[in-house]
Amino acid sequence: MTEGYVELHAASAFSFLEGASQPEALIERAIELQMPAIALLDRNGVYGCARFHTSAARNKVRAHIGAEIAVSSLKVRLTPPAWLPHLQPSEPARLPLLCESRQGYQNLCQLITQFKMRETTKQEGAAKLEDLEEHALGLICLTGGDEGPLSAALMRGGEEEGRNVVEQMMRIFGPHNVYVELQRHGEREQEWRNLSALRIARSLKLPVLATNGVRYARAYDREILDVFTAIRNHTQLDRAGRLLALNSLRHLRSAKQMISLFRDIPGATENTIELSSRLQFELTDLGYEFPRYPVPDGETMDSFLRKRTEEGVQRRYGAKGPDLLARAKKQVDYELALIARLGFAGYFLIVWDIIQYCRNNGILVQGRGSAANSAVCYALEITAVDPVDMDLLFERFLSESRNEWPDIDLDLPSEEKREQAIQHVYQRYGELGAAMTANVIAYRGKSAAREVGKVLGFDPESLGKLSSLVGRWEWRGENDTMAHSFHGAGFDIRHPRIAKYIELCVRMQDLPRHLGQHSGGMVICQGQLNRVVPLERASMPGRTVVQWDKEDCADLGIIKVDLLGLGMMAVIKDCLELIPEHYGEPIDLAQLPQDDEVYQTMQKADTVGMFQIESRAQMASLPRNCPRKFYDLVVQVAIIRPGPIVGQMASPYMRRRQGKEEISYPHPSLEPILKRTYGVPLFQEQLLRMAMAVANFSGAEADELRRAVGMRRSWERMKNLEGKLRAGMTANGINVPTQNTIVQYISSFAQYGFPESHAASFALLAYASAYFKVKYLAAFTCALLNNQPMGFYSPAVLVKDAQRHGLRVKPIDIQVSCWQCTIEHEPDGTRSLRIGLGYAKGLRRQAAEALAQSRVLYGPFLSVEDLVHRVPSLDKRELTVLARIGALNRITGIAHRRDALWQVERAGKPEGPLLSQNGEWLKDESEIKPLDPMRIDERLVADYAGTSLTVGRHPMYYRRAELQRNHILSARELCTREDGRFVRVAGCVIARQRPGTAKGFIFMSLEDETGIANIIVTPDLYERDRLVVTRSKFLLVEGKLQNQDNVIHVKAIRLKALADHALQVQSHDFH
Amino acid sequence: MSKPAELYACLYARELPAQALLRLRPELRDQPCVVMDGIPPLQQVCSLNTNARLRGIAHGMTRVEVDAVPGSVALERSHKTESAVKAILLECVGAFSPRVEERSDDTAFLCGIDIAGTHALFGPPEMLARGLLQRLRAVGISASLAVSSNFHAAVCLAKGLPRCVSIRVIAPGEEAAALTDLPLTTLALTDEQAETFALWGIRTLGRLAELPERELIARMGQEGKRLRQLARGELPHLFQPVAPAFTLREQIELDSPVEVLDSLLFVIGVMLDQLILRAKARIVALASVTVSLTLDGGGAHARTVRPALPSNDKQLWIKLLHLDLEAHPPQAAILAVALDAEHGITSKVQLGLFSQQLPEPARLDVTLARLRAIVGEGNVGRAVLEDTHAPEAFRMESFTVPSGSPAVVPSAQPRAAMRQLRPPETASVVLQNQRPASFFFREGRYTVECAYGPWRSSGNWWNQTLWGSEQWDVVARAQDGSMLCCCLVRDLMHNLWQMEAFYD
Repeated sequence: MTEGYVELHAASAFSFLEGASQPEALIERAIELQMPAIALLDRNGVYGCARFHTSAARNKVRAHIGAEIAVSSLKVRLTPPAWLPHLQPSEPARLPLLCESRQGYQNLCQLITQFKMRETTKQEGAAKLEDLEEHALGLICLTGGDEGPLSAALMRGGEEEGRNVVEQMMRIFGPHNVYVELQRHGEREQEWRNLSALRIARSLKLPVLATNGVRYARAYDREILDVFTAIRNHTQLDRAGRLLALNSLRHLRSAKQMISLFRDIPGATENTIELSSRLQFELTDLGYEFPRYPVPDGETMDSFLRKRTEEGVQRRYGAKGPDLLARAKKQVDYELALIARLGFAGYFLIVWDIIQYCRNNGILVQGRGSAANSAVCYALEITAVDPVDMDLLFERFLSESRNEWPDIDLDLPSEEKREQAIQHVYQRYGELGAAMTANVIAYRGKSAAREVGKVLGFDPESLGKLSSLVGRWEWRGENDTMAHSFHGAGFDIRHPRIAKYIELCVRMQDLPRHLGQHSGGMVICQGQLNRVVPLERASMPGRTVVQWDKEDCADLGIIKVDLLGLGMMAVIKDCLELIPEHYGEPIDLAQLPQDDEVYQTMQKADTVGMFQIESRAQMASLPRNCPRKFYDLVVQVAIIRPGPIVGQMASPYMRRRQGKEEISYPHPSLEPILKRTYGVPLFQEQLLRMAMAVANFSGAEADELRRAVGMRRSWERMKNLEGKLRAGMTANGINVPTQNTIVQYISSFAQYGFPESHAASFALLAYASAYFKVKYLAAFTCALLNNQPMGFYSPAVLVKDAQRHGLRVKPIDIQVSCWQCTIEHEPDGTRSLRIGLGYAKGLRRQAAEALAQSRVLYGPFLSVEDLVHRVPSLDKRELTVLARIGALNRITGIAHRRDALWQVERAGKPEGPLLSQNGEWLKDESEIKPLDPMRIDERLVADYAGTSLTVGRHPMYYRRAELQRNHILSARELCTREDGRFVRVAGCVIARQRPGTAKGFIFMSLEDETGIANIIVTPDLYERDRLVVTRSKFLLVEGKLQNQDNVIHVKAIRLKALADHALQVQSHDFH
Repeated sequence: MSKPAELYACLYARELPAQALLRLRPELRDQPCVVMDGIPPLQQVCSLNTNARLRGIAHGMTRVEVDAVPGSVALERSHKTESAVKAILLECVGAFSPRVEERSDDTAFLCGIDIAGTHALFGPPEMLARGLLQRLRAVGISASLAVSSNFHAAVCLAKGLPRCVSIRVIAPGEEAAALTDLPLTTLALTDEQAETFALWGIRTLGRLAELPERELIARMGQEGKRLRQLARGELPHLFQPVAPAFTLREQIELDSPVEVLDSLLFVIGVMLDQLILRAKARIVALASVTVSLTLDGGGAHARTVRPALPSNDKQLWIKLLHLDLEAHPPQAAILAVALDAEHGITSKVQLGLFSQQLPEPARLDVTLARLRAIVGEGNVGRAVLEDTHAPEAFRMESFTVPSGSPAVVPSAQPRAAMRQLRPPETASVVLQNQRPASFFFREGRYTVECAYGPWRSSGNWWNQTLWGSEQWDVVARAQDGSMLCCCLVRDLMHNLWQMEAFYD
């Protein structure tokens, strides 16, 4: 029985390094202790409150919200006395504040924002008394524990100063809103302070309040707090001394324990109940409002939106025939009516405004996600997929009952263009009206391994070794524990210190480390966003972030617009510029023709570099699915996902498409819905429609069903809806076995299903990328190489693939190369690709651009000395890099790369100003060339080390004769062998994957000069040859050939690493 | 007078840490043995024997990797053994030439020996080499040896000799030819130089030697010239023979066993005179003196005295040694005395004009030595609190001259005084409701009237030294009615109650 106590002063790990449990863990513990309510007060923020509230609401615990606010005017917090050696830094005392009402919460948010934004950079910051006075209404003030102002004042100036501080708080917050806080952690000094606090409370007639100043859920978590303390103070556990906790008592304690602990102080625990009942505020009551869009006089937002939409419908559908136009108009009317009912017009207009801004400023932008289900979004040019023509289901995007804002994600070309759009939003809604959502940086394998090692005092070298071990394979087999990988790397896991290390690393996983900013999520608010959630500075200048991440914002119904960077958008944007320039052909992204050649290329799985369909798994399914039209591609994008694979939808679909399995439907009424996908439900929209068709669900109800299945914790809701579903089906005369099949379909699939609209948006980009690759290879490869890193393959693989398709790729040459890769025109009228200086590792952009500019101004470089003289910003290291990769070979007087290295070594020597006036003076008098040219293998090593790629022949080409002697096949030869034959193949490892859906199987791609061979490694073989699988750069594989439906794999039986001659080739691992 | 012909032998013993340890462990020689360096648990192989190498063990492997090789034996590195072996090697070499230059690195022993003019004594260089290697084999060390008239050529050759060849003698003028195939790793290149040569495709000394000199200097500076000369076997060398160490040691066998301290001090006084004289000649002073006594019956007794400042004051030393030996007298009659002194720099402390008057350092030393003789080593100095919550955590620091005024102003607040029991005494406590109700202490039974607590603390959970305790402040009444205010402590690790302090 525990009605007798509520913990009103708990901090979570969102007090960044000053608390050791997740907010959810505190709630979980509170439930175990049957505590009816609990308050969360993190340091200088409400970072964890959203998660705390969500978890509490789910478990019917009341979550009180507050924060510990650092106040500089309250002087420094308690430190050990000066005669004791300690490392305690001087920090301001922190005042615990609890929100009594919504006004209190808004004041707290404003208070935090005020002092956080006072700083010019990302910092903790501290409030002043004036800030408190300004924002005191609706807040309850506690006097705090060790971190609070009363303890510090008592130790500093005795009871008199303590009383002064409490009186000050009474003046600011009012006498009824101050509680004198008592904590008992088994410390003598604390008890002395408690006695003084009691006398002060008595004399000022203030209530006392027992709390435990909770920093972790369970006593055992004190260890994590100690580790955090050492990390926070940049020291080691052995040296942290008095910084560490004195004991393990700051955990959540039961009412029984607390009542017994405070039995001698009447009212101390009873007051927690009383105060808890006073705290009426909960986070559901945020008072958030999305901004209104400014419309001309005489217009409402609804009428303005209707006009813009109708204009768009004419523009988009005018030429598509009266039938479609009529359907579009009907759909748009329906959508607009719903939007008006829900009051979302402002949201659409604001997104439309961002789109307009991008269009006017030459920024390619495309909406994705469920927004593509909406004809209004299509008409407003937010999305590019026509939902009317494709018959997409609007309810997936917006429904009346959902009580949630729609979600529109915008894809922009990465980096600067995205930044430009973000700054536009900031300017439009003001500093306190818009902010980025936060991204909570949590401890993951590697960061935990590094930081724990540091505080345990491991030396940097061992630390590097330890943290590099933490694997990133997606699939985690039973042997993939941290302990196993440490053992594998030669560490003795029985050693107590290593054992403790591993244990701490595991326990620290997912605890928050600090706050970053989300790459593209923005929240916008009508009026003051800082009344809804505190804002603070981000480390990037000019950016502000809210204290919640995007899930938190979504949970609390705060609307966000995601401005996401998508590499392929940048590639397409570049192609749209390069194609007219170099091919002389105009190109319109919206009007790309459906081309057979493009589909044929996809059918052959020749898709390296193409958006979404280039991965191993995609390539393995393309020949089977054989896409022939755009909708096939939509399915193709959606089907190779964990969802359909786990839900066992992918294989039935493929078999039915190939005619190997009969097409059937669970019920005839489902045929129109599932016909497009051969009776296999693949998309979330289909699920909604199924519920609507078989059980007469409304669109809104169907969407609720989808969401209920998606959420793992909502069993109760799910049960209700399932009952309703079955009742509906019974009413429609569907028998129980069929009902079971349908329910099974829905529940196994809904968690992972993909929205059809989203797949369609991605399929558009996939088709565009395929079209460009097939028709304009030079432009596409050039754009792809200029926007790395992106996609599945490294630049080296992209170059080799382009070469196999007949593109001539030329090496970096300082006489012609620019920073970016460029297209050159050959005398025979073909186009070739020149690798840009950006691919020379270690060459600074500024120096490369100076070089290019000098070439434009004064023509080609005449000698190495001329280069050094004309481009003084090039340092010797950069010159060496250029010489080594052969970029200087076309300078007169340079015979080969080593010769260039020899000359650079001389010319790169820093000279005094007198000599450097004339480059020629630096020249060697003799013309001796004492160094031998590089051998082929040396050139390869230099290419890969200096540029990560080679434009020369593939490394495997040089071994071909030897390989042939040993009956080792090339990738191309594999295609000619029969299924089931024993084969040997060798190549350079370009990708290793261990997908979560593949039960521990590993897929490797080996590249040679003829193409790519696919290898399957069984879990057993992996266990036997772990190092060969994970470390080898070149591999010889022996095994059985599988050739099914033109999909070719080698199932490895034996693996052997080939000598790599120190080639620094890169493989895309653990995707 | 023409310059005498130079001739150098270079002796190279690789894998010294392993050889040094296995020298006296012949039973391990046929097994794969490695030497681990570093602090556990993060140790790595720093040296290994041939057997281990052939089984695939390599430098830098960890303990677990080594354990994976069946039959492997891992030994801890011992720098002490290595320096003893180095001394033995130098001694062996010293028998062939007085002029030896040592150039050992971390895991190999390398020395150059000036053997010019030894022909008459030891025969031609080959014979000398064989003799030297044979001698080394006798002390359990295998090595290789190269002879050349150029010192550096001999060094490179010795380092670059294949494992199967142990002796190489090159005639004058043939250095370049002999060096040509050696890898560049035989030169001690900096990382930068090694990278440059790698880029240039220069892998052997021969290729380096072929580079044109002027152009090389233009690129690598005088270092380039030096390396090129090295590669050609042309770099002259200024021989820097190992200087015999300056040791301050006096030793005497007594004619008859001495038992009286005064007589011993008389002898020590004479020896100190000698030591001080020698120290003064080098303008140094004695920093510490170790008296080693050989005792009747085979025992030994050694004491070291180290005053705050090095001194050449004989009377001071006599006094200090006297006090020390008085406090730690030998247990038997003394047969022999040896005095080993370390030397330090004589120094005078310049005090400020207005600084506090302090006792003379020498007199302070005597006083401290007296105190130490009474209370024991490590108990004299000033107690300094450690930065930890652990109870009783303090360390002793020797006295230092305070600078400035004390930083801590004593608090004006009255504080309760207590008397700490050192060490704490055992008490037997009876608990009621997890609180002390009564206890036995010093043969008396006490009933607890009031108990405040528990005051809990714990720490060092990440180490084996983890601790946890619980304190209770107790007001208790004895059977005779007297009051006792005290502090009881319970060690939570061992569930042990102790009386820690009395409150006044």
